[in-house]
Amino acid sequence: MDVLEFSPLLPIILLGIAFFIVVVMMLYWSAKRGHLRDFDAQAKTIFTDEEPEGEISDQFPESRKSLRSRPGRK
Amino acid sequence: MSNESHRISPSTNPYSSEDGSVRAELSAIDASIRTAALFFVVSAIGWLMIGTVLALMAAFKSHDPDFLGAYEWLTFGRVRSAHLNAMAFGWANNVIFAVGLWIMARLCRSTVDHKGILLIAGISWNIGVTIGVLGILRGEITSVEWLEIPQYATPMLALSYALIGVWGVMAFRFRKGDHVYVSQWYILAALFWFPWLYIVAQAMIIWFPARGVVQAVVNWWFAHNVLGLWLTPMALATVYYVIPKVLGRPIHSYYLSVLGFWSLAIFYNWAGMHHLIGGPVPVWLVSAGIVASVMMVIPVIVVGLNHHMTVVGRHREVWRSPTLRFAVFGAISYTITSLIGSSMALRSVNEVTHFTHFTVGHAHQGVYAFFTMVMFGGVYYMMPRLLKREWPSAGLISLHFWAASIGITIMIVALHVGGWIQGLQMNNSEIPFIETVENTVPWLKARSVSGLLLTVGHVAFAINFFWMLFAAGAVRSRQEPTLLTKERKPV
Repeated sequence: MDVLEFSPLLPIILLGIAFFIVVVMMLYWSAKRGHLRDFDAQAKTIFTDEEPEGEISDQFPESRKSLRSRPGRK
Repeated sequence: MSNESHRISPSTNPYSSEDGSVRAELSAIDASIRTAALFFVVSAIGWLMIGTVLALMAAFKSHDPDFLGAYEWLTFGRVRSAHLNAMAFGWANNVIFAVGLWIMARLCRSTVDHKGILLIAGISWNIGVTIGVLGILRGEITSVEWLEIPQYATPMLALSYALIGVWGVMAFRFRKGDHVYVSQWYILAALFWFPWLYIVAQAMIIWFPARGVVQAVVNWWFAHNVLGLWLTPMALATVYYVIPKVLGRPIHSYYLSVLGFWSLAIFYNWAGMHHLIGGPVPVWLVSAGIVASVMMVIPVIVVGLNHHMTVVGRHREVWRSPTLRFAVFGAISYTITSLIGSSMALRSVNEVTHFTHFTVGHAHQGVYAFFTMVMFGGVYYMMPRLLKREWPSAGLISLHFWAASIGITIMIVALHVGGWIQGLQMNNSEIPFIETVENTVPWLKARSVSGLLLTVGHVAFAINFFWMLFAAGAVRSRQEPTLLTKERKPV
């Protein structure tokens, strides 16, 4: 390929531009739908009644020994 | 509505509707996706074990070429590529389909209604990967990195992906509530990006090959973007989901998380061209790739800062959570590997690191220390909720974590240091090439040791998983679940 001839690269360049345009359109859509406002409220949407805010929901399973040593457990 | 949920305005928390018929409970969503998610996790673990065996073979062959040298189908070129594709399309994609779709379903509050299609697509995907990996071992390899799977297997993969990916898109389309959490952004975007990358690369390299170096341009556009626009967003979506969930604490700055997503979406697509520094391609194309690679510092710093500020003051809870041990290790690795990657894109640095084991170490830091560790965390969080059971052994989780974290650290240090020395020596015309190769042997042996440690971790993970899956009676018999505790623990 001639070093000054980059027309064979045109498809990939056009794809890159198309990719960029799609992302900008997505950004516009999200702004229009209000997704870029009231950030604090949106951060809390993952909490539910079953898994509420303020509750730790994961820890190592306790060993059999520590379970056996608990009061009231046979 | 419970007292806890009064902390969140019903208008901003779509899960907390007082109308039970409208509210989609997480447990119902988990139940609806259980079969498909379990299938994908089982498949992922199967490919993880196959990929690990292939990786060990390749690692030992790199410093002991006679190892299994009598078998044509186990030559280094085939085994190494089979390892890469088993891990990328077997382990990584299956675990993404499990964890990513599960998170998407929960965030969209969508139950899976046509789970049979998802399951059939999953089976078809895994048959496609099996045909592809076997084809590579048979020598029907394409010679294009990250696209080595033979041509005859790729239509099956593309079709299967379409059936799987479209489900995630449909879940988003018919989500309940108008809110879009940042994890949904990452997953939705990645579900579009991956097929775009894969189909374009297949079309321009395999099916209708472009001329000359354009193939190389497309190859590295694809290979780099698979990491940055498929594995990375899926792992970040998981981190943004599990850290707040486990700690019961919202992400530190939702604004920063959105900024991180959009800057990744805008800059990453251009970055792959730094792989062609010094190659016979237009200089401006490479320069654009270098600029985009350096611009990637923005989302990386933003994401790293956000994760750090979310867990700050909660380090004890992080350490006590199997999920967060892995996820936070992965998140820290993301920051480190991305900053190293940006610096590797600079011409002066690339002159040393190009064509050396430094690049191999960098790839493993991204795909394993970041992506895979995060996904391990995602599986540790997801499984008890899918099965309503405990992980049976805390010891096996610890063994998995320590073997994986120490193993990958040894590998990264060995390949980075060894690769840097290799690069300096290769640039020194007074050092014979064979001497530069011989000098890498100690570092390659260190990689093999790290591979053995990773194998131990993977075996521990697999044993714990199948123990949990099949030894239901023994695990259920415990009266006081810890992972799914209903006891309120004030933070």
